[in-house]
Formats: sequence, structure tokens, C-alpha cells
Amino acid sequence: MSWRRPKGPIIANNDGTFLINLTPDERGTLSGFVDQLESLLKADLSDERLKRLYPVAYHDDAEKDAEYQGYMRDELTQSRAAAIDTVRSMLTSEESVTTAQLVAFMTVLNNLRLVLGTLLDVGEDTDEDDFEEDHPLYGQYQLYGYLGWLLEWTIAAVSGQ
Amino acid sequence: MFPVRFITPQANQQVAEPELDNQVDEVPEQDLPWIVLVWNDPINLMSYVSFVFQKLFGYSKEKADLLMLDVHEKGRAVVSTGPRERAELDVFHLHEHGLWATMQKDS
Repeated sequence: MSWRRPKGPIIANNDGTFLINLTPDERGTLSGFVDQLESLLKADLSDERLKRLYPVAYHDDAEKDAEYQGYMRDELTQSRAAAIDTVRSMLTSEESVTTAQLVAFMTVLNNLRLVLGTLLDVGEDTDEDDFEEDHPLYGQYQLYGYLGWLLEWTIAAVSGQ
Repeated sequence: MFPVRFITPQANQQVAEPELDNQVDEVPEQDLPWIVLVWNDPINLMSYVSFVFQKLFGYSKEKADLLMLDVHEKGRAVVSTGPRERAELDVFHLHEHGLWATMQKDS
């Protein structure tokens, strides 16, 4: 008989906090990917996988965009690094988390999906048939699906649904 | 644990440039306000996009859902307007949340 999660992965407590209901294996796996994300954020910004994390701001004015990126990009990276730190501490603790911590968790999950989705070249019509078991990116696509599932639960919890 | 890494492999993979529609790029007047656009992205979940609109702009769920559907179905939607500094801040927060946002002068 396969193991079934008795409740969802994010449980709302009565006091406005939340419990992260993930197994030790899931926590370890997610921590590993958070570490990879942190490393990737230090990579050269020409890296294709960062495109969706650092999109253009002025799509019709390259000069203004360069100016904008000059003073906003570092701030964006610092914000992401702070969210990663928050999530890393959440994944190594069994304690309940606040809404702000859960929002940080949500944005980090979404960042991971953006990187993976870019790597997988996900489009509107992409589905599991594009990544069958013999596909070299099968594992990445499975992870992409798992993160989407976890993100949906997180959004529902933060939204009070 | 997933035997998956996305840091080292595939570094040379080419990703298509965003197909932004420049038809919205009309010649602006100096005193026009700026608009912030969010563009459709097949990766971001619809529920996530709606949540971000509610969180950042204080929109009701109904308004945020309508804007999100506009983004999804029409390819883009104007989510805020205002002076340039305000628009830049909105774009920053949208990027911070992983949404594909740009700004331009209203036309």
C-alpha cells in the first residue's frame, strides 16, 4: 500500500500561522534545489535560465532599461536571497510559520518553477506527453509538476481557502 | 531525492526571446502617465498571478481574476498607471514575484 499524506502539505492553524506538512525527504530535496537556486542567482546574468527572473522593464526603450537594470537588479537579487534564507530556515524547522514566511516560500517555489520552466521550454501546449520516461529532462519535468502542486496548496493557504 | 540538477547541465540551451507585441508602443506625449503591463507567461500559475495582483495592488479577488484572465487570453493587461517612479516600483515588485511586467508611456 502506498503512503498517503493525511492532510495537505500546508495546514492552516487556528492562530493564523501555518504548518509545513512535508516529509524529511521532501524537505531535504527542496533544500537542495533552494541551494541550487541560490548558486544560479550568482551566475552570469547572460545565463539563459535567468531570463524570466530578470525580465526587461522597458520593452521599447533599451537605454531606459539599462538604466533601470543598473539600479534595480542588485536589489532584486538581494530580495531573492532574503527569501531563500527564510525558506531554508523553514525547511530545517518543524515550527509553525507566519504568513510572511509562507509568502517567501511561495515566491521561492515560483522562482524554481520559472527556472525549470525556462529550462524545459514550457509553452501553452506543453504536457506530460512531451516528457516521457526516456526523455533526458523527465526528472526535471516531474519536479516542475511537483513544485506546481505544492505552489497551488501554498497559494490556497495564504489566500485563506 | 530527485536525481535532478538544473544548475550544471543545459547551460547552453537557447531560449526563445520573448515575443512582445510592439503595437502598444505608440509615440508618447511628454505629460502622459506611465502604464504597467503584465504579459502572458505559460509558466506562472493563474492562481498565482491573481494572488500577486491582490497582494501588490489591493485588488479584490474578482478584479484580480479578471485582470489575470485578460493577461491569459489577450496576452497582456494594464495592471497599474501613474508617474514613472511609481510604475518602476510596481514593475520591480512584479518582477520580485516572478511576473513578466514591463512599463511604457500611456498612448
